[in-house]
Amino acid sequence: MSSNDDKARFASVVTPHLADAFALARWLTGDRADAEDVVQEACLRAFRAIGGFAGGNTRAWVLTIVRHTAYSWLGKNRRSAVVVVDDLEAVERAQAERGENLGAPATPESELIAKADAARLEAAIATLPVQFRETLVLRDIHGLDYREIAQVTDVPVGTVMSRLARARRRLIETIGMDDR
Amino acid sequence: MTTNTPPEEPVLLVHAYLDGELDPANALAIERRIAADPALAAELARAGALRGVLRKRLPVQAPPPHLRARIDAALGLTRTDTAPSWRALAASVALAAVLASGSTFLALRPTPDDRAAAAIVAGHMRALMASQPTDVVSSDRHAVKPWFNGRIPQAPRIIDLAQDGFVLVGGRIDMIGSTPVPTLVYRIRQHLISLVAVPAANRADAAIARGSLNGYNLIDWSENGVTYWAVSDLGASELEKFATLFRTARPDG
Repeated sequence: MSSNDDKARFASVVTPHLADAFALARWLTGDRADAEDVVQEACLRAFRAIGGFAGGNTRAWVLTIVRHTAYSWLGKNRRSAVVVVDDLEAVERAQAERGENLGAPATPESELIAKADAARLEAAIATLPVQFRETLVLRDIHGLDYREIAQVTDVPVGTVMSRLARARRRLIETIGMDDR
Repeated sequence: MTTNTPPEEPVLLVHAYLDGELDPANALAIERRIAADPALAAELARAGALRGVLRKRLPVQAPPPHLRARIDAALGLTRTDTAPSWRALAASVALAAVLASGSTFLALRPTPDDRAAAAIVAGHMRALMASQPTDVVSSDRHAVKPWFNGRIPQAPRIIDLAQDGFVLVGGRIDMIGSTPVPTLVYRIRQHLISLVAVPAANRADAAIARGSLNGYNLIDWSENGVTYWAVSDLGASELEKFATLFRTARPDG
């Protein structure tokens, strides 16, 4: 395999998805400069792996590498940012069993949601636990379908469904609380 | 369990319904439940409003302009010797044209077909890097054909191959030298195929021939005064299947 082939494959497989790669890295790290570091490292990994790429969904493949790279980066630089979502789900269940309902307190009208500005939405997304955040961002900002999100985030489609619904509800509640 | 939130499962189905992820039977079932349950209807309205406002206010933006250069440097590629660079390819096409115009570089002189192939691959790569690989987006050949009719002398033959998995995405106009040529774009799975129809009035019909350039597979054949070029990152045998299907399909429109 010649390195010229690798370069051509890199250009056809990875380069078209640079905007998506950078956007996802920024949502995961929360910072543009950190996102650049992550994307650069992800591109190195992708370039090394490109000879073994078997074809298929190039965007999902690139975003999977970006996500892995971002998680390694977060683990090294911001350990506290990676909260295990299983624990979160257990906390939610416990709250629900104690009657501390998450759904009721702030459910704004859809007209109010539609009026939220970019800064408010960004801030609300940033408060989501990272696994909820990535699921929401991949669906509602990048426009991936559930199967692609399952591939990128390495969980079953059922988990994608439940994370997405939870993430959207949390976001909607945050927007509602902001407005009080 | 709690009593005043909707039970979990229908809520998940409402979100999946909004995202177009349900099969028709489940979609119909949840539509009925939404119609009967104001809490689910409100959930759908809120989730829809959220999705709409996110798309509008927070679209995926272009990466910082220096990021490309930074990545090329990190990969040990400079901008100019990056094989996939469209500019570099365009330059090589221009160089080929210069070489072809004189007789001093006989050994290097590319054939017209070499130049066409380089231009076609360059057009394909440029399209892959653009946000849209086509200028007219439609899977309906009856919509794509008239678009060409208004722009070039002869609209290309357009074949519907969707039932074989090759879905028409749309069309664009590429340049080979100074000649505008129609290009159809088909998609199979995540691979795009550019099919370029180059008028070649004096050319004898020729069977399918395989080639490759810059890591892309190329197939060409000629019939009825047109040379067709198909280029893609798709495997050579699948690309040949596409070419064969296109070539043998009945022109019914």
